[in-house]
Amino acid sequence: MKLLCVDSEPVYREIISLCAESVGAKVKSVDCFDEAISAFSDFAPDIVILDVIIKGGSGIDLVKQMKTMSGNRFVPIIFLASQTSDAVMGSCFQCGADDFIPKPFSEILFNIRLKTHMRHVELIKEMYRKNKALTYYQTMIEREHEMAHHVLDHIQTRSERNSEYVAITRLSAASFNGDLALVKTRSDGARLAFVGDFTGHGLPASIGALPVMQAFFDAVDDLVDINKLAERINRILISVLPDYMFCAGYLVLVDPNGKILYWGGGMPNAFIRRSTGELDYLRSNHMPLGILPVREFEADLQNDKLDTGDTLIIMSDGVLELKNTSEEMLGSDRVEVIINASYAEKSLITAQKIAERKLAEYQGESIQLDDITLLALRSTCLQ
Amino acid sequence: MSISVTVNEEKDLVIINIIGSFDFSLFNDFREAYSSLTSTYKSYVVDMSMVEYLDSAALGMLLSMRNAIELDSTIRLEGANDFIKNILMISRFDKRFDIQ
Repeated sequence: MKLLCVDSEPVYREIISLCAESVGAKVKSVDCFDEAISAFSDFAPDIVILDVIIKGGSGIDLVKQMKTMSGNRFVPIIFLASQTSDAVMGSCFQCGADDFIPKPFSEILFNIRLKTHMRHVELIKEMYRKNKALTYYQTMIEREHEMAHHVLDHIQTRSERNSEYVAITRLSAASFNGDLALVKTRSDGARLAFVGDFTGHGLPASIGALPVMQAFFDAVDDLVDINKLAERINRILISVLPDYMFCAGYLVLVDPNGKILYWGGGMPNAFIRRSTGELDYLRSNHMPLGILPVREFEADLQNDKLDTGDTLIIMSDGVLELKNTSEEMLGSDRVEVIINASYAEKSLITAQKIAERKLAEYQGESIQLDDITLLALRSTCLQ
Repeated sequence: MSISVTVNEEKDLVIINIIGSFDFSLFNDFREAYSSLTSTYKSYVVDMSMVEYLDSAALGMLLSMRNAIELDSTIRLEGANDFIKNILMISRFDKRFDIQ
């Protein structure tokens, strides 16, 4: 800790130096304005002690200059002066000084005050150091999230384009949380869909997504049954991911007649909006993928039917947990209202846009915390 | 501290109490809570009556705990509010934990 002492009287310079050295400070003493300025920049003190009256200028002006010179650096400046009128003390603090000790001073009190200021300097230095480290890590994580997004976006490009049969909306949050939505029509005309939600954020989540994508598209090419695909993805994730990571998801196969076969694990209910306006549910009744060892994995499927005009809607929990400006989560009741109103529309592409708009309206100006994935499927084109 | 651990040797029981948000920020502390115990116990309780929110990272942390603790010891998840209980049930944690 370096201390600069500015005093025109040699006796004070000596006492102050002795005191400051006794509490562990390295001291430089000067006796006039100009020397104080050059010492401030060359010696770079952590604390300055000065008098109001100095040879070659005023202490008030000196403080102003030093405060400007120190910029973002916190350097406490302490007046040690015999002029103790309210007016003098007032102008000392006004020009930016941090403390005022009247002369003559008690050494004990002076040392205590000095130690307090030294402690503040230490704390602030520590804060700067931590802040710097945090900024570094934050930047690094932002880059990692960007990369994860990039990887996921690349996977996503292999999925089927939006049409009157398939509509996928993905809205990425600032902090990426690993949603994945894939749809592909097989050679037999059946459409395979996967909506997944990985635990964790950023890069770790996208690492699991890569092999899942590969398994998905292989299954499309080879017409693999979805119970086999569920088993395969589970096995992959068990081997790739650590035990605290998994992937909730729906695997859905819709055949050309609208027959639905699905496997669901760890996901909120999905919906079928009937052409009549009624809502039916797809329920995920399994543990998420990547948890249960192969011998315990349950691959039993459920089924349903997608008739003309019906829409199957799968969403990640980011939709349910979307918050409005008063921090209220969207929740399943409001989701059902939005679904019912939006997918009454004959064109699926338009319906999807309506749903997106309604979600955006609910969200208003609030910040989206999670990724949002909304997948809609129809077995027939209504237009 | 948002995690506290109470050991009851007589009942062969450990209670891990979590307060506030049960999320990724507790990753190390939560693992420490059960792995730093010097011996193993018959039953473990994760008291969540003071937990307001739980994310999927917390589910992963619970699974990790389940893997770390001997199979014949039980882990009871206690006092979860409806929101959290719903999350636990959606992910079928009843297959691995005793949910009260």
